[in-house]
Amino acid sequence: MRTSRLVAATALLALAVSACGGATSADKNGGSAAFEITEDTPPAKGPVDSVTWSLYAEPQSLDYAYAFDYHPNTVLANVCEQLMRITPDLKVEPGLASAAANPDPKRWVYTIRDGVKFHDGSTLTADDVVASLRRHIDPKVGSYWISAYMNVKSVEKTGPMEVTVHLKKPDQLFNEEMGTSAGTVESAAWLAKEGYGTPDVGVNCTGPFALESWQKGQALNFKKFDGYWDSSLAPKVNTLKMVFIPDPAARVNALLSGEVDGGYLLPPPGFPKLRTAGTGTLYFGPNTTAVNLIPTDLKGTLGDLKVRRALSMALDREGIIKAAAGGVATPAKAPAAIGAWGIAPEAAKDYYAKLPALTRDVAGAKKLIEEAGATGKKVVIATSTLSPEIGVIANAVQSAGQAIGLKVELKAVAPEAYTALFSDEKAREGIDLVMTIWYNSTPDPLEFYGILETGNFANYGGYSNPEYDALVDEANAQADPAARAEVIAKLQEIAVRDVIWIPLYEVPHSMFLNKRLTGAPTSIAQLMFPWAARLGSAG
Amino acid sequence: MTAVPVHRRRILAPLARIAGGDKLVTAALAVLALLIVAAVLAPLIAPHDPDAVDLSATLSGSTPEHLLGADQSGRDVLSRLIFGARTGLLGPLVIVIVSTLLGMLIGVTAAWRGGVVDSVLSRVMELIFSFPALLLAIILVAVFGVGLTAPVIAMSVAYAPYVGRLARSVAMQEKARPYIQAYRVQGWSGWVICVKHLLPNIAPLILAQSAINFGYALMDLAALSFLGFGVQPPTADWGAMINEGAPALLQGAMLPALAPGVAIVITVVAFSIVGESIADRVARREQ
Repeated sequence: MRTSRLVAATALLALAVSACGGATSADKNGGSAAFEITEDTPPAKGPVDSVTWSLYAEPQSLDYAYAFDYHPNTVLANVCEQLMRITPDLKVEPGLASAAANPDPKRWVYTIRDGVKFHDGSTLTADDVVASLRRHIDPKVGSYWISAYMNVKSVEKTGPMEVTVHLKKPDQLFNEEMGTSAGTVESAAWLAKEGYGTPDVGVNCTGPFALESWQKGQALNFKKFDGYWDSSLAPKVNTLKMVFIPDPAARVNALLSGEVDGGYLLPPPGFPKLRTAGTGTLYFGPNTTAVNLIPTDLKGTLGDLKVRRALSMALDREGIIKAAAGGVATPAKAPAAIGAWGIAPEAAKDYYAKLPALTRDVAGAKKLIEEAGATGKKVVIATSTLSPEIGVIANAVQSAGQAIGLKVELKAVAPEAYTALFSDEKAREGIDLVMTIWYNSTPDPLEFYGILETGNFANYGGYSNPEYDALVDEANAQADPAARAEVIAKLQEIAVRDVIWIPLYEVPHSMFLNKRLTGAPTSIAQLMFPWAARLGSAG
Repeated sequence: MTAVPVHRRRILAPLARIAGGDKLVTAALAVLALLIVAAVLAPLIAPHDPDAVDLSATLSGSTPEHLLGADQSGRDVLSRLIFGARTGLLGPLVIVIVSTLLGMLIGVTAAWRGGVVDSVLSRVMELIFSFPALLLAIILVAVFGVGLTAPVIAMSVAYAPYVGRLARSVAMQEKARPYIQAYRVQGWSGWVICVKHLLPNIAPLILAQSAINFGYALMDLAALSFLGFGVQPPTADWGAMINEGAPALLQGAMLPALAPGVAIVITVVAFSIVGESIADRVARREQ
């Protein structure tokens, strides 16, 4: 006992020292610097035999119904495909459906692409599509994508290669959601297997890479699928290995040493070192992500709009960006990132410009708190060691809240329990505020603003406004993207006015790529688009 | 120039006497005394509020304002280190007290009663031994939630056999001594003999083991806090500080993680030195 503990003590010290690397003092800007958005990387010039990619965590499952986070989607984007496809420049185009039609507002008709093969050699049919989509509305499955099917009445096979989705009310967003895991198509025969999506059974889809093996706790191995239908995305990489490296320092060091070739969603504290790496390039790409505080109890202290507004006014967003995001972020004005407006990017700039700037005004905030009679009232914010920015933001909110007279308490949530705050109402009991890094999967901002309608699963605070709900329906019925964007802009104005969520900052999507490679998209579309299919030799 | 060394000698003189003139033990005792003072007087001696956020000072290095720098939230590392001594010492103290009492009860009962009782209690101790303390703590955390309580309960149970095994061994030797037999012949009850004579005689050795256990318990609690199962943010705690400071290492900010790491190592080593010193003294006295 004695020996092992002393060794452990020494190891702890050694860990603390060795992990420091060569630098001796902190970057005075918190590792920050101006950053540029790179829309895409240059196309690949030739094939490469193998690529090793880093993931910050191991997926719990490869079942698309539970692919609702960065790491499972980064994997599945290369293996399974959807009826529609979201491109690297955040547009929606046909995918496994060669055509999508909306003959009347309450019906989507998908023509299934001919000649598409699954990894086991079987051919894609309408039966596979029906079986795949229906799983989302099967309560036994418990799909995480159920919100996309809120307005779906039924999914029917209406021809050998045709599937029709009947809606309860018009839903334009549904078709865009068919470019996400909500529209993934898997072999019906494979879905019937016991343990679908687990390391033992795996998946059998149509993507450019086929799952070869799952080394539990270590890596996922893929090989290129020679029978892939889309010749424009024929893989240039023979074997692709995705390794799980949860520790941020280890992941950054693996990229710096060239042990792994690349990775998405990198830890902000690692940006300074990755920026100056000799082994590759750190890219910042287009993103749909905004970091927000979600008032999860609108019946408590934060139920008063003045209190929410005051807390928002008291926040030091610049300081938070520096401390939590390493300076690589921009202050947000709305809960949905401006990058989430892929359907109307230019108009979005105007909509955004009209929103009030979220400038810091502690004195004004304090006055609002006094007017609301909320001085001394308690606000509980969740904090966790799950990721560094959660703690930093919670600390900053506590500091800001106390400066204006609120009594802000931090409630520690175990790392593995933090995600439950977003799926389990009981887990949110006694908590007023939760920090979230929220991204949109589609280029449609209605995907975000739609969740704030009455009764939506992700409307965590229980916000309810008939005017807002009517606008959500109006936007969802509007087929023309520009016209829809105009209605969504009204939703944005209400969301900002009512401070339903408290926006903090917007971050770019990060990717590191070894200098021997190029072609991978820099944008967050990599969560849906087969990014590895474009990877290849840089020289 | 001479005033400082003389003053230092005066301060250390009582500790040196306790240490029997051993410089290493004196230094270890001085470290422990310093920690206790820091823990007790933390609000008076810490230069800043340990939870005060100053985002403009994020990851600042050592400055006159922040001698050990500031962490990612701009909190003063030195102040958090001083306040961290509280949880750093309180948790292990409770574990050591409970595990020592429990271990002595089990060990002495097993030794005194012998036979079936000894066999059963020995098997119970072996059973607890087979369960890693950290694993037991994590299971209890899963049941009762994160914080200091569940790990302290788990480790109090897990550490008891270490004391129990030692207590059983020395109590058996003590039980065989003539003076115990003499009390028995005089009709003294086993309870009275144990409490009045046996326990005081084995106590120094148990104390030595407990001192060593203190360091190990501190290590385990820090490990649990580092993993996110123990003391929770924003409470200043050395293990949690390492966890919070680790990402900043990538930015070259060493102090937020290094300072609590060094504090843990120094404290564990100090407790080990003191414990071993007590054990050596007992052994010499026995000879």
